[in-house]
Amino acid sequence: MGDIPMMLRKGGHSNRSKVEEQKMAAPRATQPEADLPRSAETGLELREAPAVAVTVALTAQPVAPAPGGAFSLSVVFPGSVTREGCFRFTCEFLKHVLYQRQQLHKSYEQLVCFYRGQLPRPPGQEEDMVRKVYPKDQDSKKCQQVLNDLDGVFQHLEIMFNLTLVPRILILLGGTAVSPKELYEINLQGISVSGTEESLQTSACVRKLFHSLFMADVFSDLQAIPTMGIIVMAQGHRNCGIDWFRPKLNYKVPTRGRKLTVNLSCSHGNSTTLSTCQESNSAWDDYIWFQAPVIVKGFNYFS
Amino acid sequence: MDEAAGDLKLPLQNDCESLQIHVEVHQKTNSTAKKEDIKLSVLKLLNRHSVIFGDYKWIEFDDCFLTNNVQSIAVVDTELQLKERQPISLNKCRLLIHIFHLNEEGPSTENLDAEDEDIVAANHWLLPAVEFHCLWESLIYDAEIKSDLLNYVTTTLLFSDRNVNNNLISWNRVILLHGPPGTGKTSLCRAMAQKLTIRLSHRYRYGQLIEINSHSLFSKWFSESGKLVTKMFQKIQELIDDKDVLVFVLIDEVESLTAARSAFQAGTEPSDAIRVVNAVLTQIDQIKRYPNVVILTTSNITEKIDIAFVDRADIKQYIGPPSPAAVFKIYHSCLEELMKCQIIYPRQQLLTLHELEMIGYLENDVSKLSLLLKDISRKSEGLSGRILRKLPFLAHALHIQSPSVTMTTFLQALSLAVDKQFEERAKLSDCA
Repeated sequence: MGDIPMMLRKGGHSNRSKVEEQKMAAPRATQPEADLPRSAETGLELREAPAVAVTVALTAQPVAPAPGGAFSLSVVFPGSVTREGCFRFTCEFLKHVLYQRQQLHKSYEQLVCFYRGQLPRPPGQEEDMVRKVYPKDQDSKKCQQVLNDLDGVFQHLEIMFNLTLVPRILILLGGTAVSPKELYEINLQGISVSGTEESLQTSACVRKLFHSLFMADVFSDLQAIPTMGIIVMAQGHRNCGIDWFRPKLNYKVPTRGRKLTVNLSCSHGNSTTLSTCQESNSAWDDYIWFQAPVIVKGFNYFS
Repeated sequence: MDEAAGDLKLPLQNDCESLQIHVEVHQKTNSTAKKEDIKLSVLKLLNRHSVIFGDYKWIEFDDCFLTNNVQSIAVVDTELQLKERQPISLNKCRLLIHIFHLNEEGPSTENLDAEDEDIVAANHWLLPAVEFHCLWESLIYDAEIKSDLLNYVTTTLLFSDRNVNNNLISWNRVILLHGPPGTGKTSLCRAMAQKLTIRLSHRYRYGQLIEINSHSLFSKWFSESGKLVTKMFQKIQELIDDKDVLVFVLIDEVESLTAARSAFQAGTEPSDAIRVVNAVLTQIDQIKRYPNVVILTTSNITEKIDIAFVDRADIKQYIGPPSPAAVFKIYHSCLEELMKCQIIYPRQQLLTLHELEMIGYLENDVSKLSLLLKDISRKSEGLSGRILRKLPFLAHALHIQSPSVTMTTFLQALSLAVDKQFEERAKLSDCA
């Protein structure tokens, strides 16, 4: 990765991590859309006061390059999390990858705000500004489509997390499901799940996840890529009863392409982890891959 | 692989005892049932139906498990092994059950140049693909083209598995299909890739079909084209490296990539084109070492192809326009489809050629329509498969224009449409 010339990077991606850190740490009010930082999604999280003290950066290991262009990053939460939390990690990570890899030209929250007007805007000049930034009709349609597709994926992922244990999630960029250009994996096998009362607060955990991502600086060295199709795959139990996702019984995690694995785990040894749950529930081979039936098409103004 | 080796001997024998019957089980898209469970239920079903005549397809089941998980169960390709239509006793045959899911995603594209996003160098299909479903059955040829091609690949795999020394016995994994346009060469390649993926699903997790866009490999930069070809094959190589995947590379209109180099000696062709031919030839030699790849090529103009490429092709199969018997089968399948969709109504029994032969082509109420169809088929000789498949459509468009017609009217319209085809063809050649 190191041999990619600087000019190929999208502007400002390179020396981002430290700056980002400061922005994240300071809770702030909604800013004008134009200069929201890339981590707007985490920024929103941060408005809630963290209830659990998370020891940040102690366990975040730097990216360890493995053979074949594979990288992994481990994040350890100091306690158990909820199922809903697992869904949120996936969701936020997916949004983040899409933005960082130029599949969305603004962060997901900003786009939602633009095209749906869901987030409250500060009154005054923004009316004017929004009109200026508002793209041509066709672009707007395309963007709506991307947002709708993503919403579909999020909605059904949430259902899936409620129905079954989800040990692994794959986000595949470009190519086919079996030979993507880039592969992002979230491994939840080390996670221990418990009820809301005993669990860490989700927002704090999301913040920790993102802190680790920024510290490890996993996206800055990458070459800019054109927009492509994004496939989301999730592992779940054979009989979980989800019908939106398509089961792929023969699927094997591809080895081709660039790979980043995010290993999430919980440090508290007293509760059972997902993988031990899995083992006790049923055999490993009952956990199969499911593929989201929509391929989210990356979107850019200039594409 | 011993089973596959058995396949080869089949043309020599005809008794049921050693007959291999392929049963294709199409699992529903949302079904998550284990293959073993499905196999057990399918075997139970086949046990109850001990004798069948030719191919047969079940789409409705008594068994609740099958109804929930299986779209169809089909006994296929019996005619490739048995010349005569004869009762097949399923209990005595060796049953090979292939269970597959169809991929619905459609093709994905491969670009070679990051800057040139618009130029698609290749289309990737994940097999078995929903688009190619039933394509194999729709292709009708007279000779044993289909079984020859299947057996060729089976032998290729057997030789690779047994580690036959490629220096002593050489095979190149290249198939060249040539013949006039519209005879289904490209379709046959796609269908074969699909068929083999299903047949070999016990060995390979899935198949990949890579359709190379030949023209996209020519660069605007002088001397870059050869490099583009190499780049393309490098990408293919990456896919082949995964031993669990069966890779088919389809190069359509291969003469554009492998134009005869002797023609360049006249000096009118750019030397860049020679480099492309050289690159393709060396890359094919590279790729043939891998056991899980088959290169399928098609061409209309064989005399333009470089001799070194033709030499590398293991099978050079000519695919000509269908004979009257094949035309009859094609029309028969078209009419069945129209009756299924109730465009031809009421439903009429159409006899097959074999059945017509049995009754000695005697004209009676039952055989009247079939004999008429036979006449039309004879009249249609010389038309390509592509034209034949669209004739029922043209017949309806030009001569019928009503939502439902009787078989008699439709056959008259079809006959008129055939006449019109020949008229148009005569006019075209007059102009030329």
